[in-house]
Amino acid sequence: MEILYLLIPLSVALVFFFLVALWWAIDRGQFEDIDREGARILEESEKG
Amino acid sequence: MQTAPLIEPVGTSVTAPASALRAAAPALTELEVLDDAVEWMAFSHTSPANPKWLESSVWIDGITCAACATKIEQALCATPGVIRADVSAAAHRATVVWAPDHVKPSGWMQAVRRAGYRALPGYDQAAVELRRRAARLALWRTLVAGLCMMQVMMYAYPAYVAVPGDLSAEMEQLLRWASWLLALPVLLFSCGPFFRGAARDLARGRIGMEFPVALGMLVTFAVSSAGTFDPGGVFGQEVYFDSFTMFVFFLLAGRWLELRLRDRTAGALEALANRLPATVQRLLADGTVELVALRRLRVGDTLRVRAGEAFGADGLILQGQTQVDQSLLTGESHPLQRQAGDTVIGGSYNLLANVDVLVQGVGADTRFACIVDLMHSAASSRPRLAALADRLAGPFLVGVLLAAAAACAYWWPINPGHAVMVAVAVLIVTCPCALALATPTAMLASAGALARQGVLVRRLQALEALAEVDTVVFDKTGTLTTDQMRVSAVTVRPGADPQVAMAMGAAIAEQSLHPLARAITRDAACLASASAYRTSMAREVVGQGVCAEVAPIDGSAAASPLRLGSATFCAVPPGLSGSAQVFLSDVHGWLASYCVVQELRPEAASVVAQLQRSGLEVVMLSGDETAAAQAVAESLGITRVYSLCSPEQKLDRLRSLQADGRRVAMVGDGINDAPVLAAAEVAFAFGQAVPLAQSYADFVILGGQLPLVAQALERSRSTMRVVRQNLAWALAYNLSCIPLAAAGWLPAWLAGLGMAGSSLLVVLNAMRLAQPLAAFDRNR
Repeated sequence: MEILYLLIPLSVALVFFFLVALWWAIDRGQFEDIDREGARILEESEKG
Repeated sequence: MQTAPLIEPVGTSVTAPASALRAAAPALTELEVLDDAVEWMAFSHTSPANPKWLESSVWIDGITCAACATKIEQALCATPGVIRADVSAAAHRATVVWAPDHVKPSGWMQAVRRAGYRALPGYDQAAVELRRRAARLALWRTLVAGLCMMQVMMYAYPAYVAVPGDLSAEMEQLLRWASWLLALPVLLFSCGPFFRGAARDLARGRIGMEFPVALGMLVTFAVSSAGTFDPGGVFGQEVYFDSFTMFVFFLLAGRWLELRLRDRTAGALEALANRLPATVQRLLADGTVELVALRRLRVGDTLRVRAGEAFGADGLILQGQTQVDQSLLTGESHPLQRQAGDTVIGGSYNLLANVDVLVQGVGADTRFACIVDLMHSAASSRPRLAALADRLAGPFLVGVLLAAAAACAYWWPINPGHAVMVAVAVLIVTCPCALALATPTAMLASAGALARQGVLVRRLQALEALAEVDTVVFDKTGTLTTDQMRVSAVTVRPGADPQVAMAMGAAIAEQSLHPLARAITRDAACLASASAYRTSMAREVVGQGVCAEVAPIDGSAAASPLRLGSATFCAVPPGLSGSAQVFLSDVHGWLASYCVVQELRPEAASVVAQLQRSGLEVVMLSGDETAAAQAVAESLGITRVYSLCSPEQKLDRLRSLQADGRRVAMVGDGINDAPVLAAAEVAFAFGQAVPLAQSYADFVILGGQLPLVAQALERSRSTMRVVRQNLAWALAYNLSCIPLAAAGWLPAWLAGLGMAGSSLLVVLNAMRLAQPLAAFDRNR
């Protein structure tokens, strides 16, 4: 049970990390043109 | 220019020698005009990543699917000097970061062209940028609340399931501290818009809709914080971080969806606002052509517009003839014939051949700008029902605060912590957002759908007035009839050969652009053998007629001087004129007379019938003589006709109809009948030449399509139906939820869900009206 005293603060830190990661994704416009991502697999890749 | 002319330039059209294009040194291609710091800064700004880079916003024409976006991005990124390119297939926009030291806009725009698309400078960059930032921030706020909500639930769970004594006191305290830590960003960041809105309203001395919600948020957080750090205090040791994060998330998610729905309707308008070309060809006095940016164009310049291009400004065609597509501006689906002397409007497309256009209006003075402007002003007007909802919201909110206080006071002796949460539930659940959204969203959606079909709504309020109308008054000229004239009867001098007379009349009529002369040239019977005659020495006396020498082409007879025009011009004795308006005379005097009438719109009868079927009385006012007006009315099935009306009499007729308790919609051409239009409950301005800015009309029908009157009416009724549904729902929701919340049956998180859900329902219901007219009203 004692491990929880470490895990709970860790989980809080993890949430803050995810919040920053989300901002990074949003700021790069990753949620703005969602339709396009589905078609990406059909495109020919330039580099092997 | 990528779009090749569809058909070779015809007839008199202007074919500039290739050397003329090159004469202006140094030669600029269409794109190179933008290779100038002044020009490119109009759609670019310095990149935040590196001050040496520029970030440009462009429209991409020709995107059809998501894969196009990648192709364009690849093409852009392959251009040396382009640092980054983001293409949004949904918005048809691209953001390009480029280094001016290495590449110019023409360079990367050319790359887009080679990929098969067209890049147009996005001059509204600042506004778009602002909106995109706002949208991203809104999503970020929502996701912060969502993520924190999930984690806070985890921390709250043990407290819910543990049997007393199972959970050590330290562990419980640790879980609370963790919850508090995660609720903090929700309060400080996610709730920001609510607090700002409430503070703004308070600063203006009134209680806004955000106030109860903001208060609820603050109180919940304060009570829970007290429970965390001072478990022995008056609020007990209960914490409500889970409720708090949850209702904030629901509220924000609802708002974000609402924002997206609204952006979608705004996008349609924006597409309209970006139809103008970036560069135009200006014809110089020496006959050469130079390329200039559209913004540099002035009234009085002459433009050369090639087939396939959009007209950059309003103007008059000087040379050439072509067909234009105005469908985006007027909803008119057929290409229209335009020739020298006709006007064209900026933003419409030149389909067939090159033409020279004298610029008569640029920038904000164009009809196009008027249309966009009208749309914006209509969008910001407050309909009466919405204003009423706003006025009622004040006392309503005070009532809500009192109810919350009363509920709190009632529960306080039993459990102070619970009492505060009941009050919070009352505050959250009664936010009258749905009430405030009910009217404007429905009317805006309707106005957008109407605009796409060619009906501009000047005031949203007019939609409500139109739905209550029971009488439609048509001012005949230009509404039920077309602007075109038609030859109804031809009388020829006894003894003369009617065939020859009519052929010669048509031949000479071809020399004039006067509407009456054009009616003769359109008439098949008159035109039958006109090509057998040749006219020479034609001379037109303005407002009088044309005289010319007419001779058969085969030379079988000598040329004879003929006159075509008014009775005085042709020296026709008054006794002979009858009801005819146009005469033909030769050396012997009167030869033929033509009766010309205005042509009924082919769809007029069905529109009148449709209006009558919807329970409206159709009345016709006309300045024409009784017989003519009666004939028109009879063929349309209109029983109530007032003929020979002067403008004052028309106004009197309208007033007497209104005195009978009728609500009248007036349909006029918007020019001669401004006072009558102003006096009617609802006014439609109709016809090609409506001066938009001064028009009194509530609705402006752009394409001259009569069926749109009936459709607008139909749509106004469905709009009001949706508004009533919305208002009824919002009221019923608020009235039923207050008692539930005050009784303590509605926890705060459910209140948040209910509030967000009810707003969303109202918006979704309104969005049904954004469908194209016919589709919606048929499916209903």
